[in-house]
Amino acid sequence: MPEQTTLPTDARQAAPAAAVGLSRPVPIAKQERINWSGTTILVLCAVTVLLPLYVTVSMAFKTQGQAVDGNAFSLPAPFSVDGFVQAWTLTNFPVGAAMSLLVTAGTVVATIVLAAFASYAIVRNWERRLFRFSFFYLLAAMFIPFPVVALPQIQLTGRLGLDNPMGVILLATMFQLSFSVLLFTAFLRSIPLELEESARIDGATTWQTFWKLIFPLLAPMSATVGIFAFLYAWNDFMMPSLIISDPALQTLPVRQSLFQTQFSNNYHVSFASYLMAMAPAIVAYLFTQRWVMAGVTQGAVKG
Amino acid sequence: MKMTRTKRIGAMGLGLALLAGLLSGCSGDTGKETIRFTFSKREAIGFMTKLVADYNASQNKTEVVLDTSGVDVVSASFVRGNPPDIALANYNMETSRFVQRGALSDLSGTHAASLIREDLKPLMEQYGSYPDRTSALPYSVMASSVIYNKEVFAANNIEVPKTWSELVAACEKLKAAGVTPFQATWKDDWTIAQGWFDYSVGGQVDTLDFFKKLAEEGTDVGPDSSASFQKDFDQPVAKMLTLARNYVNKDAASRAYGDGNLAFSQGKAAMYLQGPWAFSEVAKTAPDLQLGTFPLPMTDNPEDLKVRVNVDLAAWIPEGSKHKDAAQDFLEYLYRPEIIEGYNKSQLGFTPTKDAPVTPDPRIAGMAGYYEQGKVYQGPSVLVPKTIPIMNYTQAVVFGADPASTLRTLDADWARLAFRQ
Repeated sequence: MPEQTTLPTDARQAAPAAAVGLSRPVPIAKQERINWSGTTILVLCAVTVLLPLYVTVSMAFKTQGQAVDGNAFSLPAPFSVDGFVQAWTLTNFPVGAAMSLLVTAGTVVATIVLAAFASYAIVRNWERRLFRFSFFYLLAAMFIPFPVVALPQIQLTGRLGLDNPMGVILLATMFQLSFSVLLFTAFLRSIPLELEESARIDGATTWQTFWKLIFPLLAPMSATVGIFAFLYAWNDFMMPSLIISDPALQTLPVRQSLFQTQFSNNYHVSFASYLMAMAPAIVAYLFTQRWVMAGVTQGAVKG
Repeated sequence: MKMTRTKRIGAMGLGLALLAGLLSGCSGDTGKETIRFTFSKREAIGFMTKLVADYNASQNKTEVVLDTSGVDVVSASFVRGNPPDIALANYNMETSRFVQRGALSDLSGTHAASLIREDLKPLMEQYGSYPDRTSALPYSVMASSVIYNKEVFAANNIEVPKTWSELVAACEKLKAAGVTPFQATWKDDWTIAQGWFDYSVGGQVDTLDFFKKLAEEGTDVGPDSSASFQKDFDQPVAKMLTLARNYVNKDAASRAYGDGNLAFSQGKAAMYLQGPWAFSEVAKTAPDLQLGTFPLPMTDNPEDLKVRVNVDLAAWIPEGSKHKDAAQDFLEYLYRPEIIEGYNKSQLGFTPTKDAPVTPDPRIAGMAGYYEQGKVYQGPSVLVPKTIPIMNYTQAVVFGADPASTLRTLDADWARLAFRQ
C-alpha cells in the first residue's frame, strides 16, 4: 500500500502538470501481460552468465592455434580434446581433485559442526559475560583477512606439522567460523525456548537436546553455512598455496595457477582445466538446487 | 539413533585422518635420498620432466622430485624452514632477498661454478650478493631486443637500422608505405617497461654504473645528485616517446600482450619490442613466419648497440636444505654441457658457460654477437625494487603524463625507499 501512495506524490513534486492524470484511479490490469522491461533486464543478466560459460566450453575444445586467434566466440573447428589431455596430466588432475575434495569436505563438515556448537552455547548462555564476549571474539575474526596473518600462520603450521591439507582445513574452518556463527546465532534466536523445555521435561540431556532437536531444526541454516564454506574452500587459492608444503598434496586452484603466466597464453588448456574444476560444483548444484536457492536467501532475510 | 549419529560423525573424522596420513606417507620409503627440485617455467616443464626422469634412471642414490608449484610456494617454504633442496628459478629482485639474507648456500666450490663466464658476474651481483659466497649460478640467459618481421623489411627494402637516425628513417619509410612500424601493447604495463622503456634507456645509459651511483646516493637522489632518473633518463624517455607517439598501431592503448602476438603473427606490423618468449606465442598462429632480432639503436654510434639480458634461470641450493650433497650432484648434472646447451637451445636462451658454442636459432642470431662480446645490459625496470610501481609510471608516460614530473616522482620514490631501509 505505501508504494501506491508515495509514487503519485513523487510524480506530483517532479511535474505538477502530470499530477492530474495520475490522481485518477488506475485500472488494475486483469490479464497477464509480458513485462518487457523486466524481461529484457533478466535476459541481459542471463547473458552475462551464459556468455562466459559458452566461451569457457568452446575454448576448452579448441586447438592451440585457434584458441589464440582472437575470436573468443567462434565454435571449435577442428574439435579437439587436446586441452583436456594436457590439463589432466599437467595438474595431475585426479590427485588435485581428491585434495580439493578432502579440504572442502573437511572444511564444510568442521565449519557446520563447530559453528553450530558454538552458536548454541552462546545463544543459550547469552546472559553470561564469558559467552557474550566469546561471541564478539569470534566475530572479530571477520576483520582479519588471511594475508595479514599469513606469515605467522605459515611458521606456526610448519612447526606443528600442519603444513598439509589438514592445516588448511583447520585454518579455513577458523576463518569461516565467524560468519557462520553470526548466521547460526541469528537463526537460533528464532527457535522458541519452549521446544527445548519440553525436551528437557522428557529427560533429554543437553547433548541429546542439541543433536535430536536443535541440530535438525538448524538444517536450513546448516545448508547455507555449508554452501558458503564449500564455495570458499573449493575456490581458495592463497591459503593452500602458502600452507601446503608438499606439492603432491596441493589443491586444484594452486595447480592451475601454472597456466596463467605473463609470457604465454594457453587458453585451451586453462579453460579445459577450469571446466574440470568447475564440474563438481556444477554437478553438486544440479542436485541440490532447491536447498542452494533456499539457503542463499536464508541469510538475506531475518529468520 | 544417537549412537549411529555420533558413530557416523566419528567415523567420518577417522576417515579423514586416515586419508591424510595415507597421503602424506606417499613420498619417501624408497631407500633413495629424495630431493625436491623447484622449477616453474611453464614452457619448459616438459623438457625438465624428461630430464629429471633421465637423471633418476641414471643412478640409484638420489630421487629427484620435480616441484612446479611456483614462486609463492617457495617463499612460504623459506618462512616455514623447509625450502626446496635445489631450484632453477628466474633471477630477480625477489630471489635477491634470499641471497642478501644468506639463505642460499655457497656454490663456489662446485665444478659448475668454474664453468660460468666471468663477465656475467656483474649481472648477477647487480641484484645484491652475500659476502664470500657464490649464492646462485646463471643457467639460462635470455637476451631481448627488437623482433622484426623479415618479410616486411625485405618487401619495403629496409636494412636493419644501426643508428637512431636510420631507425627513424626506416619508421618513416614504413609509415609512408602504409605499414605500422611498431606493434605496441600498452594495455599490459609490463610490455612498456620491459620493451619500450628498457630498450630505450639501456640503449643509451650504462645501467650498471647508473644503479651503482644511485645506490650510493641513496636518500640524496634528486635534482642535484650525481645520478638521478630525472637527469639521466630524460633523453632516452624523450626518444621513446618520439617512437611511441608517431610509429605505433592506432589501437595500442587497448591492446594486450596476447593481441599483440596475434597481430604481429598476421604481419600487421614490422617491429615488436618483446623478448624471445614471444616467439613461441607468435608461432602458435604463424609457425613459418621469418623473424629476426636487432638491438634498438638509441644513439648515432653503431658501437653503442647493446642487447637487454636477464638471467632467466639461475640455480641455487638453500642453506636450509638437508640434502645439500645430493643437490650438488644434481647441480653438476644440470651443468653438463650437453644438458645445459640442450636446454638453452630448446628455450631460445643463451648458455652462460665459458666454452659453450654459440649456434643460435636464426630468430635470435641477431643478438648472438652482442651477447658474445658482452655488450649487454640489464633492464632498468627490473632493477628498481617492486615497491616502486615503475611499470605504471612508464605506462602513464606513454599515455600522456608529463615525463619530467614522472621521473621526478621516481627520484622521490627512490629516496624515500632508501630512507626507509
